[in-house]
Amino acid sequence: MSGYRFDRLKILVVDDNIHMRKLVTTILQAFGVVQIYEADSGDRAWTVLRESNPDVIVLDWVMEGMSGIELVNMIRANPASPNPFVPVIMLTGHTSFEHVREARDAGINEFIAKPVSVKTMMSRLVAVIENPRPYVRTSGYFGPCRRRRGAEDYRGPERRAENAKQQAAE
Amino acid sequence: MAQRQQPIELFMPPNMLKAKVGGGLGGADMAAMKRAEAAMDGLKGEFADWIADDVKKLIEARARYAKTQDADSRAALLRAAHDIKGQAPTFNYPLIARVAGSLSRMIGELPPHTAVPVALVDAHVNAIQVIHKMALQDTNDKTAQALCAELDARVDDLLKAKK
Repeated sequence: MSGYRFDRLKILVVDDNIHMRKLVTTILQAFGVVQIYEADSGDRAWTVLRESNPDVIVLDWVMEGMSGIELVNMIRANPASPNPFVPVIMLTGHTSFEHVREARDAGINEFIAKPVSVKTMMSRLVAVIENPRPYVRTSGYFGPCRRRRGAEDYRGPERRAENAKQQAAE
Repeated sequence: MAQRQQPIELFMPPNMLKAKVGGGLGGADMAAMKRAEAAMDGLKGEFADWIADDVKKLIEARARYAKTQDADSRAALLRAAHDIKGQAPTFNYPLIARVAGSLSRMIGELPPHTAVPVALVDAHVNAIQVIHKMALQDTNDKTAQALCAELDARVDDLLKAKK
């Protein structure tokens, strides 16, 4: 037994599909999480986020209106964000390497490819508790460091700044 | 040694989450996982309604796209297909997930200015309807496998030609 007090956590679940929200909240409740907030869109999530200041966010990527990636960008960079460091676990049907990289570059802490399972949900929740990543601030990016090891010694080009320039140009 | 091109601030914020939930031993909470597996089993009775609801949404999105082929209807069709791709395996419909994955790939990978062929959208949605109506949950079903392979091949051909 690990002895986690999951009952002390506040978790925000963001998904525009009601069934997926129910599935995720059912798993989290069984883990012992009591304070679970739900949002069916990125816009609604931004409001709930500012009202409840959750400890962890479980977030869908593809949603009508504001996408999960756009919401993460707001959480990390918007001055009105209540907690730019809040861990974000992205839960998505996207499974390609490019999508995982895009999510990481946007500031996601952990990634779950659907279909969701109890084991994966537990493992990602434990990961954000036990293995938090350092944070990076540059002119073009703020969020968790993409490199889990060796970040302190990195001396290569600042690729994220290039990414930001490309995104701005698009 | 190469120099950084711009200043980088790297720091480790205090681990407030760990301070809040404790858990000195780390690792998965096996008792919590058992409770969650049992809770998931308790939901299984609802899965038939949930997949039916998702298929209905896809059919509605297909009808909307067939009527008006614009960016909004295309995005709605992609969202409906993408939801099914991610959820159908949980609802014990892996074949539906496969066809929805093919449909998502076609819509997502075709350049935005290239129209998604309605006939090929229909072929995917019709296949999903048939698999759902026949309650085909066995991935070894030969007819369904052949149908999935055919749809995959047609999407491959389309993407090769348009990219």
